[in-house]
Amino acid sequence: MRSTRLEALIKAILLLATGFFLYGRIANGTLYYYINERFAGFTLFGAVGLIAVGLAYHFGRKPASASAQDLAHDVGQEHSHAPATTHAHSLSWGGAFLVALPVILGLAVPAKPLGVAALDNREFNLNLESSALPASLRNVADKAAEERNILDWSRTFQKTTDYGTLVGETARVTGFVYKDPTYGADHFVLTRFVVSCCVADASVVGLMVRSQDPSLQNDQWIEVTGTFVPSDVAGWQAPVLAAESMTPVETPQQPYLYP
Amino acid sequence: MAVLPKGCLSTVITDKQAALGDLAETTAAQRPAQRPGRRQPWLRPWLRWLLTLLLAAAALAAVFADTLLAGVGREFLAQRFQTFVTIFLGIFIEAVPFLLAGSLVSGLIAVFVDQSMIDRYLPKHALPAAISGSLLGMLFPVCECGVVPVTRRLYEKGLPISIGAAFLLAAPVVNPVVMLSTYAAFGWGPVLWGRIGFSILVAIVIGLLFHLAQPKETLLPNVSAAHHDACCHVDHATHGPKPPVGARLQQSMLTAGDDFIDMSRYLIIGSMLAAAMQTLVPQSALFAIGQGPVVSVLVMQLLAFILSICSTVDAFLALAFAGTFTTGSILAFLTFGPMVDIKSSLMFLGVFQRRTVLYLILLPLLMTFFIGVFWNLNVGL
Repeated sequence: MRSTRLEALIKAILLLATGFFLYGRIANGTLYYYINERFAGFTLFGAVGLIAVGLAYHFGRKPASASAQDLAHDVGQEHSHAPATTHAHSLSWGGAFLVALPVILGLAVPAKPLGVAALDNREFNLNLESSALPASLRNVADKAAEERNILDWSRTFQKTTDYGTLVGETARVTGFVYKDPTYGADHFVLTRFVVSCCVADASVVGLMVRSQDPSLQNDQWIEVTGTFVPSDVAGWQAPVLAAESMTPVETPQQPYLYP
Repeated sequence: MAVLPKGCLSTVITDKQAALGDLAETTAAQRPAQRPGRRQPWLRPWLRWLLTLLLAAAALAAVFADTLLAGVGREFLAQRFQTFVTIFLGIFIEAVPFLLAGSLVSGLIAVFVDQSMIDRYLPKHALPAAISGSLLGMLFPVCECGVVPVTRRLYEKGLPISIGAAFLLAAPVVNPVVMLSTYAAFGWGPVLWGRIGFSILVAIVIGLLFHLAQPKETLLPNVSAAHHDACCHVDHATHGPKPPVGARLQQSMLTAGDDFIDMSRYLIIGSMLAAAMQTLVPQSALFAIGQGPVVSVLVMQLLAFILSICSTVDAFLALAFAGTFTTGSILAFLTFGPMVDIKSSLMFLGVFQRRTVLYLILLPLLMTFFIGVFWNLNVGL
């Protein structure tokens, strides 16, 4: 970019666009498709901060040469002895496009939480037998059986030495459908992703559900009510949830579970 | 002073690089390759080639996977792309507030700190300097995204290379926030103390190495203090009447905006690479490789590099691996990951010369690897 003023304008637009993009994700609730709700406050700070910096960038620079560039040697100042300005702060069109990329991709690709497609590349921690969450986090005993989510049940299984004690308990859980041919046509895994920071660290928990409903599709969100029965699926030790009723539900506002 | 006076000489070098970059960039567009007043290319040519290669590899892998899973076709690719975008935006959105905070601090340093303050307060001798660098994070609680713009600004103010390197490597762990989250995840124990202790150790050793080797041309030309002194005569904080605080605050906002845009380019490329790796490389392939005392350390280091998650929360993720992986490998994950991962090593390119970046990746890699293996073989807690 040749003109310093044009560059400053474009930078201001980029800052504002990123800020408003973040704010938009907070406002329409899709923020939780990307990060743990604990960090929503940080994102709000990011949105407000970027908008503030963008505004300061635009309005603070009005007297294009005087105050701003006197103080800051940073922005595109010409060097008397060198033909080229070597400052890192100058921005090429390619660089501007790159900075705009998150906003472009975010608006062009409809926001969707992670689904079955992301399962292939993750350790399928269905039993959570291998993970070691701290005892304080695992204390789910005080939750009523009906209120436990898939993560709570996974932890319950993990703590239990004798799965037989859990047979007969009822559960009402929500998740998305993951069908795997190896489990047979009358079983599927009701799945949730567990996100401690952002989707980059997502891990998977799931309950094996027995149901004869052939209309279920991968990635479909449903609420299942049922009773635990001993597992009859090869390679699956934990009890299986025999479905009594299944209701299709909307994708939840918070599609991930938080440890 | 570890910053070597190079100033105007480096400008010439950069012009040459700029010309090379232009050649690579503009032959197709039929623009004149050399034009007076041209900017420096935002990415070095080699990096552009690397990116092209990686993108090609990603495309090939996607196509290849497609033929393997015959019949899934276009929908499969679309879903993969959707997953890629979600993970990319996840890493980006998570990192933006921290990068912005780092940029704001950097802006404040640019306006309110001048070089004499750094000369006055920082120790002169090598060991105390490296130690103080590694503990500086207690004052600036930043994660690995925020630490880069702060370090760059401190270098511009004349901070010695060794102290900056120690700060850059240690600060993402040795700060109150990360200590607290590690404590929350692992409690008092070898993991917490090992993580803090080994991070400080690695940072001090690398800081000392930089001090002893006195490498030339470590920083990018526009970052070094010598450049600013020799070429620009712009140390406005010390020359002439000081402008009112309001104007200076506004100025710090402008500088923060510049820094944010500058660094976000590297953050975005890094997040995209990390997201691509996560979409294409199955984690189970990594875990299948090995569980031994040596290989497990390597696997966890590789995982830390690929995942590129923020140091403030990586302890919770490490917890999920604590049962299956050796303690040494968990320690390597928790010390190496915050120092170096895909996105932070790309951000290093905005501060250091390419060769220095390589050292800043390889030295922590080797040191944390040996620490992890040593722990597995000799301590084994």
